[in-house]
This record gives sequence, structure tokens and C-alpha cells, in this order.
Amino acid sequence: MAIAGTADDLYAAGEIARPRRYRTLRALLRKKIAMIAIFYLVIFYSAGIFAPLVAPYDPNDQELTVEARRQPPSSEHIFGTDGLGRDLFSRVLYAARTTILFTLVVILTGGLILGLGLGLLAGYRGGWVDTAIMRIGEVLGGLPTLILMLAITASFRTRINGLSFWLEDHTWLGDDAKTLVKFTIIVGASVPFAWIGSSRIVRGQTLSIRESSFVLAAEAMGASTWRIVTRHILPGVMPLFVVGLSASMAGIAGAEVALSYLGLGIDPPGASFGNLISDAGFVRTFEQYPHLLLASSMPVVFFFFSWNLLGDALVDLFEPRTHTQG
Amino acid sequence: MAPGLLGYTIRRLLWAIPVLFVISVIVFYMLRLAPGDPVDAILAKNYQEEQAQILRKKYGYDQPVHIQYIKYMNNLARGDLGISTRHRDFTASEVILPKIWVSTQIGFMALIITFALGIPVGVYAAMARGTFLDPLTISSWLALDAIPAFVMVPLVQWLFALKLGIVGLGYQGVWSSHMILPVLILSLPGVAGVARLMRASVISVLNEDYIRTARAKGLKEQTVVITHITRNALLPMITVIGLSLPGITAGALFVEQLFGIPGIGQESLAAVLAPDFDVILALVLFGSFLFVMANVVIDIVYSVVDPRIRLGAARGS
Repeated sequence: MAIAGTADDLYAAGEIARPRRYRTLRALLRKKIAMIAIFYLVIFYSAGIFAPLVAPYDPNDQELTVEARRQPPSSEHIFGTDGLGRDLFSRVLYAARTTILFTLVVILTGGLILGLGLGLLAGYRGGWVDTAIMRIGEVLGGLPTLILMLAITASFRTRINGLSFWLEDHTWLGDDAKTLVKFTIIVGASVPFAWIGSSRIVRGQTLSIRESSFVLAAEAMGASTWRIVTRHILPGVMPLFVVGLSASMAGIAGAEVALSYLGLGIDPPGASFGNLISDAGFVRTFEQYPHLLLASSMPVVFFFFSWNLLGDALVDLFEPRTHTQG
Repeated sequence: MAPGLLGYTIRRLLWAIPVLFVISVIVFYMLRLAPGDPVDAILAKNYQEEQAQILRKKYGYDQPVHIQYIKYMNNLARGDLGISTRHRDFTASEVILPKIWVSTQIGFMALIITFALGIPVGVYAAMARGTFLDPLTISSWLALDAIPAFVMVPLVQWLFALKLGIVGLGYQGVWSSHMILPVLILSLPGVAGVARLMRASVISVLNEDYIRTARAKGLKEQTVVITHITRNALLPMITVIGLSLPGITAGALFVEQLFGIPGIGQESLAAVLAPDFDVILALVLFGSFLFVMANVVIDIVYSVVDPRIRLGAARGS
């Protein structure tokens, strides 16, 4: 019995448990499916982030001759070309960029600021603050999300056309101004619905940690609320929060794809999987030019699938009971 | 009904009122303040200022927004959802009710298939846990969940209608063979979600004492799985089924659009794009109301099915 051993000796002897995050990470690495998902996501993210370096052509370079349009995949254009003779592979790379940027912004605002912030507030403060936040979340979660998102985007798009022209003329944004404005609108339409799930998870965790003895001890020592929340509660909340986010990732990214598909999100010439698919997604088009739909949908389908698998694997590592909310 | 239950139900319903009120105000103002109103859409290319004035007066769009809102709420209190401008001068309820009915039938069929497949798949995965069959089962259903409807539809239309010629594509009413593809596309992606929840529920039941007792009594494994494990694991599924019910009335926008089904999903897209103010509002309020009701009904069902659940007590103030 080592009485004065180092922490490592104690880990080895099984006297104390290893810190949870390492255990989780190692358990995750053991799951083959999760590894494949992570592998694909790394490729997707690097392709999107480094799109300007990787793309063989300018994604907006049109070539309107009969031979150049809707070419099947070849060594020159590995995904073929689209209806305007643009290189589809380059467009897919830039579409990945749109997806990455959109999910990042929604997760930072809706997930991190609203979801985590409101969840901590509701869980730690309790009382009417808790009731109000949770009930609002409950009712917002029950609204017909898609119709509302459509209504928000449809009414704001025409409304701030003026703004995007102004930005185009008066700032350095130039042609990007229109895309930026449309991007902001779909982010604004998604965020009100993106915080609900994660704030519920965070609140639940906060409630249980708040009652633990180390929080009571910190309170007794006179630690400030800020310190208690950030140093004592946050570390315990983070793992499940991250799990929840990764499970909802596909849904968040899917919102942008669906809106762009309907012509309410990112419009051409801006590239988004939504508008790439809508250009290719009719059965007669598919019959004649199958590469258009396959090349523009498969990358994002695998993206959704990978996040779903990863989320599933992560949820599984934490207690299976987290699935059931009764 | 237990005494606590009634109070709890009433409190829940009362909470919904201010939130629904706020939402109706926001949606109402958002629609009216956007440029381009239904009158522009009606007149389109033949826009003439005089005619527009007459129409605006007729529909009341010439008045200040808060007056319009008060009028709308007054009518709503009498059960009048307003007038559609896209289908000229039909009332909003005449427009949406038949379409909601079409979508609800299709959604209901899909829901039944989703749960009929998802529950056994979940039980199977839970019983196979620890082997590769468990993650394999769930992952293969998750793959279907990852394919958006608007990608899936052209693929299956091409394969089953054009290539194999098994089914036709046009809409011929809800109860025809042409509905097989839409219903399957609506139902199969949901299987993974149901299966995951069912799997988790089964796993948490497995450790219960009564399961050990059942096995110790020497019951057949089949009996244990079906009558002891599955039946008890189904309890949390009440919430899942209940919360899925209001969703089926909302229709499936992409599937309806691509298969030409005259359902409410298609109508909501058209209404938003037109815009058709009263129809959009009616759809949003109808959907929200159903969701609140579903929540209340679920709680009541729970307290009937499992008397141990004391409402309100476990949920804090």
C-alpha cells in the first residue's frame, strides 16, 4: 500500500480513477466507427478551410460552351462541371466552407453564449429565472421551426436588400456584402432555436453539481459567484455540453442547406450545398447527369453522417441513461 | 385526476399563453413590416396604385399595424383565422384544413412505420450490446437519417419509377400505391432516433431486479425480453410518441413539394413566399398550440400509466 505515492502510482494501482477526460478520449479512440467519422471530418474541415489553396479552379469561372457544361467527371474536372461550366469540385470545396462558417457562428452564438450561458444561469440561480428560461425554451422548441425560419428569412431578405447595396458601395466588402447579409439572416433565423437543447443539458448538470460538497465548500469560503460558476461548475458541465453539441451539429448544418436549397439562404454565385443540390436535384436532371447530384450531395451527406456517428459514440460513452429524459 | 395534476396542467397551460402571445406579436409585426405585401403579390405585373389602394382597404392593410393586430386577435377569439390572399378570398381555415388533413394521414402512416421498426431495432441493439452488431445496427439506420429528403427523393424516384417502373409518381390521393415512396422517405430516417432511445431505455431496464427474478424463475428468454424488458422499456417512449404527434400535422415540405402532394408543408412554403399573412400566422399558431397540448396530454398519460410519477413535485418550482 503506497501511502505517499505520486498520482501516477495511484492511477496504476487503480486506487484513484484517472481524470475523466482522458478516460473518455481513450474510450473514444477505441471505437472504430468514431475514428472513421473523425477522419472524414478532419478531411472535410481542412478542405473547407483551405479551399482557396486546394481548389483547382475559381469556383465562379463560367464557361458557357456546350462541351464545357455538365461534363461528367474527368481528370481535368474530378467532379465534372455544372450547368454553367463551373468546376464542381471547386464549388463543393467552397460550399464546405459555407457549412463550416455557418455551423461555427451558430455554435458560438446560439450554443456557447445562449445555450451555455442561459443553462448555467437557470441551473445556478434557480427560482423564477429558471422557470422563465426553461418554459420559454419549451415553447420555442415546440414551434413549427421550419415555417418560422422560412418566414423570418423570406421577410428579412427583401427588407434589407438596401442594406446590402449600401454595404457594397460604402465598405471594403464589395461583392461579398450580399452574401454576408444573407448569411447573417439565416444565422439570425437559426439561433433562436439552436440554444434550447444545450441549455437544457447544461441546466440539468448545473443543478446536480450545485448541490455537491465542493461547491458548498467554495460557497462557505466566500468564493464569488463568478468563480464558483467558472471554476467549479463549468468543468463538470463542459463534457455533456460538448456531447450535446456534436449530436446536434448535423441539424444545425442541415438548416443552412435546406434554406439554401429553397433559395432562401446563400444564393449563387455563393456556393452552398443547398444551392448545388437544388441545381441538380430533379429526377430528370439526375437521369441525364447523375454526377451533378452525387458530387454535390455526397460530401455533405457524409458530413451529417459523421457528426451523427460521433455524437452517438460520445453519448454512448457517458451514461446510457442520458438518452432518456422522462 | 389527482388533485396536483389539475393544478399542474392549468399552470402549464397558463404559461403557454404569454409566450404564444409574444410569438403572435413578433410574427405579426415581422410580416407586416417587411416590404412587399400580399397586395403586391395579387396584382403582380398589373400593379396599379388605385387598385392596390382598394385592395389594401379591403384587407385592412392600410391601417396602422397595432390596429390590424387588435382586429386579428378579436377575430381569432371568435375562431376566425382570417382570409387567404393567395387563394383569393377563401378563409384561412378553408385553405389549411384540407391540406392539414392530407399531411396528417401521410404523417401518421409514416409515424407508425417509424415506431414499428424503431422499437424492435432498439431492443435488438440493446440485447446485442457489447458485440459489433449493436453499433452496426444503429449506424446503418443513422446513415438513412443523414440523407436529406431533397437528395433522397430524386434518387428513389429515378430508381423505382424511371428505372424499375414499379411505382408511379403523380399524386392520386393519399391511399394509392403512389404514396409508398413518400411514406417510406418520411418514415425511415426517423428509425435511428427511435431505436437509440429504445436501446437506452432497454439498457436501463436490464439492471432491474425484476428482470433477474424473471430469469431466475427459469422463464424462457423470449418471454423475458418481450413481456418483462420491452414492456417496461416502452414507458419512456410515451414522451417520444407524444411529441412526434403534433409534428405530423406540419407536413413534410420537401417530400410534398417533390412528389406534388397537396399537403400543408407545400402550402406553408407557398404562403411564406407569397406572402399570405393570415395563412402563415394560422399555421404558426396552430402548430404551437398543438405542441403545448401534446405536452399536457403526455403528462396526464404518464400519471395514469405510472401512478408513482407525481407531477410538479419532481420538477422544482
